[in-house]
Amino acid sequence: MGDVRAAFAIARKDIRSFSRYRVAVASTVFTPLYQFIIPAFLFGAAFAVNGRQAGLSATLGTEDLPGFIFLGGLVGGLISIAFWGIAFSLRNEMDMGTLEPSWLTPTRHETFIIGRALGGMFWFALSQAVLFGFGIWFLGLRLRAEMLLALPAVLLAVLAMVGIAYLLAAVVLLIREANFFVDTMQFVVGMMSGTAFPVTLLPGVLQPVALALPTTYAIDILRAEALGSRPIFDTRLEYAVLVALTAVTYPLGRWAFGRAEETMRRRGMLAQY
Amino acid sequence: MTLLAADLRAFLAAARKELRQQRRYPTLYLGLLFWPVLLPAAWVLMGHAYSGNDPQALAAFAERAGSTNVAGFVFVGYAMYMWLSSLLWGSGTALRQEQVRGSLEAVFVTPVSRLVPLFGPGVATLIPMSLTFVVMGLALWLFFGVVPPLAAVAQAAVVVVLGVPALYAIGALFAASVLRFGEVGPIVQLIRGMLVLACGITFPVAMLPLWAQVWAWLMPPTYIVEDIRRLLLQGARLGDLVPHIAIVLSIASLTALLAIVVFRYLETSARRTGMLGRF
Repeated sequence: MGDVRAAFAIARKDIRSFSRYRVAVASTVFTPLYQFIIPAFLFGAAFAVNGRQAGLSATLGTEDLPGFIFLGGLVGGLISIAFWGIAFSLRNEMDMGTLEPSWLTPTRHETFIIGRALGGMFWFALSQAVLFGFGIWFLGLRLRAEMLLALPAVLLAVLAMVGIAYLLAAVVLLIREANFFVDTMQFVVGMMSGTAFPVTLLPGVLQPVALALPTTYAIDILRAEALGSRPIFDTRLEYAVLVALTAVTYPLGRWAFGRAEETMRRRGMLAQY
Repeated sequence: MTLLAADLRAFLAAARKELRQQRRYPTLYLGLLFWPVLLPAAWVLMGHAYSGNDPQALAAFAERAGSTNVAGFVFVGYAMYMWLSSLLWGSGTALRQEQVRGSLEAVFVTPVSRLVPLFGPGVATLIPMSLTFVVMGLALWLFFGVVPPLAAVAQAAVVVVLGVPALYAIGALFAASVLRFGEVGPIVQLIRGMLVLACGITFPVAMLPLWAQVWAWLMPPTYIVEDIRRLLLQGARLGDLVPHIAIVLSIASLTALLAIVVFRYLETSARRTGMLGRF
């Protein structure tokens, strides 16, 4: 119970401190809009024939361009939270010199990650609500009740991403310059999960990597249920693989984080950066 | 030594200082290999998803973009994106960096012209940008098999060189303007975002609403991207682009003048309010 309270307190602290930076809050909506959503929509629309997405239909079995983009963006947002909101924020604590005092409190160190995940999910939900509103209002995005069928896949992906965040946090704590690592890995994981294009278009050597990522299945199930797109495999099989990957990723992340923490304690690296 | 020669020496010294600082952080060059390849490559794959290799879809794209060569179209657009990013994060924030380090006041106490710190750091953008263009050209060839004719590449290089003053002036105007703001990161994102949306980086300008197209054609990057695409992908010749080049150079002159005016205004204001050391 104490850990749950601590996790919510950490989330509340994160939400409060981030909300002080109004421009940064606005950029959680603005950046995905200009970097991905609007350019991707206009790029896709450039291939439209008499207003129909015949090309996308040939590739995926759906003509719903806004749906394809926004659902990819939804899981892309989750990935971004895991990389920047959770893993990299530990680096910020190190830079500010507050990691040591935080870790001296009786709260378990794993709880800090959970707290950050909760705080990150708050901003994620808020920004996605605004982005989906923009999509419905300006880009013709249509939400369908069938989307709810994919909710378990999204929840599993959230759990898997917390596991990946633990793994990343372990790496971020051990390397001195984490910015480039986090930036590039976030992009690679996002693209390989199929946020922007189906993973079947990746070069053959990269497809096994894509199929080892839980987010690949979450996106595929989400698009299949919500848009009626052709899934890579049968969705029941994809659910099974997603459950198995989540079951592996979460404990693996916890273990790696524990090892990194032990290494840092032994070498006295907490205050080094 | 005349005043002009002294300022020229100071200008070269400022450029050398920026290049030396770049050399001290070699990991920054890793980004030069990663982003110029993977960012456009991802968009090319998006293009494949949207086209589905459907001849009608590709024909529709060609009607709006001027070419069916999606990879070439995207790589040229992203070359401009990389240029703008490097410009805004590099020379565009140079004055602000000096301010944060506390060295801007020291620079202003020297007898050199104020134009030196305003325009000097821009030189440092040119080397990474040249490298980026080479990396992107190689990636386009190796991963997508697109090799434009050598004559077209040479003419595109001329367009790039003629576009340098315009981009340089945008960087200087930005550098002068951001001295007013406390936090430049979000401003860089905002301005880059506007340029990305308006200048036809990842999609044809024809896809924008009419009012946005008017704005787009007031910005030099739109002309530069369009001209390079026409040369590399549509078989145009340099002579066909003279009106565009004249417009780009005219806008460059106006932007540079505006940058000087803004800089002078902010400097005068800073002297009165003592804001140079505040951030």
